[in-house]
Amino acid sequence: MDIESDLLRTIRWPQEDNRIPREIFTNPDLFRLEMDAVFTGPVWVLVGHEAEVPTPGDYKTTSVGTIPAIVVRGTDGVVRVLVNACAHRGTRLVEGPSGNVGRGGFRCIYHMWTYDTAGRLTAVSLPEDFPADFRQEDYGIPHARVETYRGTIFATFSDATPPLRDYLAELTEGIDRVLGDGALRFLGSIKVVFHTNWKLYVENIYDGYHVTALHTGFQVVRLRSHGGDRLVPNYERNGHLWSRSRSTPVDHLRPVLRDMSLFEVRTKPTTDHTMMVVFPSGVVTDYFDTIQLRYVVPLDLDRTLIEFAFFGRQSDPPEVLLHRNRQGPAVLGPAGAITLEDAAALERVQRSAVARGENVVLKGTPRRFPPYRHVDEAPIRHFYQAYRRLLGFAIPSDGAADASGPR
Amino acid sequence: MPAGPADGAGRRQAALDLLARYVRVVDDPRRIEEWPDLFAEEATYLVVTRENHERGLPIAVVRDDTRDRIRDRVVIVREFWGAGGRTEDRHYNEAWPRHIVGPAWVDLKESDEAHLGANFMVWGSGAIDGQMRVLAVGEYRDVVVFPDGAARFKAKIVILDHPVLQDVFVYPL
Repeated sequence: MDIESDLLRTIRWPQEDNRIPREIFTNPDLFRLEMDAVFTGPVWVLVGHEAEVPTPGDYKTTSVGTIPAIVVRGTDGVVRVLVNACAHRGTRLVEGPSGNVGRGGFRCIYHMWTYDTAGRLTAVSLPEDFPADFRQEDYGIPHARVETYRGTIFATFSDATPPLRDYLAELTEGIDRVLGDGALRFLGSIKVVFHTNWKLYVENIYDGYHVTALHTGFQVVRLRSHGGDRLVPNYERNGHLWSRSRSTPVDHLRPVLRDMSLFEVRTKPTTDHTMMVVFPSGVVTDYFDTIQLRYVVPLDLDRTLIEFAFFGRQSDPPEVLLHRNRQGPAVLGPAGAITLEDAAALERVQRSAVARGENVVLKGTPRRFPPYRHVDEAPIRHFYQAYRRLLGFAIPSDGAADASGPR
Repeated sequence: MPAGPADGAGRRQAALDLLARYVRVVDDPRRIEEWPDLFAEEATYLVVTRENHERGLPIAVVRDDTRDRIRDRVVIVREFWGAGGRTEDRHYNEAWPRHIVGPAWVDLKESDEAHLGANFMVWGSGAIDGQMRVLAVGEYRDVVVFPDGAARFKAKIVILDHPVLQDVFVYPL
């Protein structure tokens, strides 16, 4: 505890809430602290959608922060999140991204301990000469608390985390809009390593300022997003983002591509986009006709795995599914026409963060509270307020942007 | 009798030459405009992870399933990711790609198509930090046709062995 508070003191966070010390992207001790204080703290981490594990025994592997986890639908139909480590000697139980565990349950290769899909230890090899007080029921796999909303699966390792609906607060309304009744069909995911700190990836989504500057494609086709806003619902508490915008051609869409279906909206009455961050690391969006969840997994100080998971609705006719399959990764994926640039920009921020100093947030900051305009970067402040609260950094008061200089 | 190299040995060599030309084009960022010419009028360029491929999941990293989409990729590389051609403003196109392609095998089909396979690895060098980075490892499972005497890809199927991409990539794999 003393080491932690020493660390928090050595990182000099300015009084102004729009200045971010670059050291938080380069300090390895802080990274370890974050994995505890944030990812096993009182937050709900988005780990998947029920459509990814539709039948009993289906599982996928992921991480909650840096804790390896198995998201599994039990033989009883209940989705659970188990730590991917044997209770005996810590061996990883499941390798590979996904599968079905079948009737045998999870069997550890090391000493053949076997668990059912609820994580209960069901068999131990050669238990003779174990201590007399050994009881199988004492050796289940640790698991997270799990709650779902519209099929989205959230995990938490903290008893202090409020119920999911309370945590999501107003965000439930946005999730309702994107996911409807939650009856989705999993189309597949694409996973890519961004060579940047996890916070830089997440704060980028709060930033409406970079969208037209960095994502040149919008300019090339003359697609302007307008009329939207960037909300930080319940910003005093949890720092989620709910961004709404509408894309409309400036005059008409410049047909620079022979196939303009990348930018078409066929499944919605309007071109309203929703882009949400469930603090700290989940993304929910419907951009054009692309329904997407993103799971942000910190690998290391300067490497972050982003899983882009794509969905259709169960009611989609085949031609709509095909449209979604053609549009999704072509726009919002690592090879997407308006996504790839983020990786390039964020890697550059990360690589120069060693220069120390502070990153500055300006656009929209004269507005002290949400809602902001969709082109503002000011919501980034609320992400870091929530972050600082969890870490125990001092929180500047709201509207401190005009406070006197560093002290 | 279809046009093109009539005998099997001629087609085999034409398919191998097409692969060599492909590698020369995709490894030279100055030649990306030549890339669509390597495809037939009805053609597909698909990049998919082995995970999704074997699970039968339709999401591909790249799904250019028409010649139009293949030609659009040049526009995306040059205009979208190239700041409207102002390359001095955009430097992430400068990760010089380098394909290392293993021995290729050709399987001539009765249908006047040839199946072409090869293992590959792609490195990117010098992007931001001057280092090199492995961008992709996998195999090609291509279909080659011979319209008008010249070999062209009817399908360029790129299967990535790794479920996690280690970086984004700009130029075709």
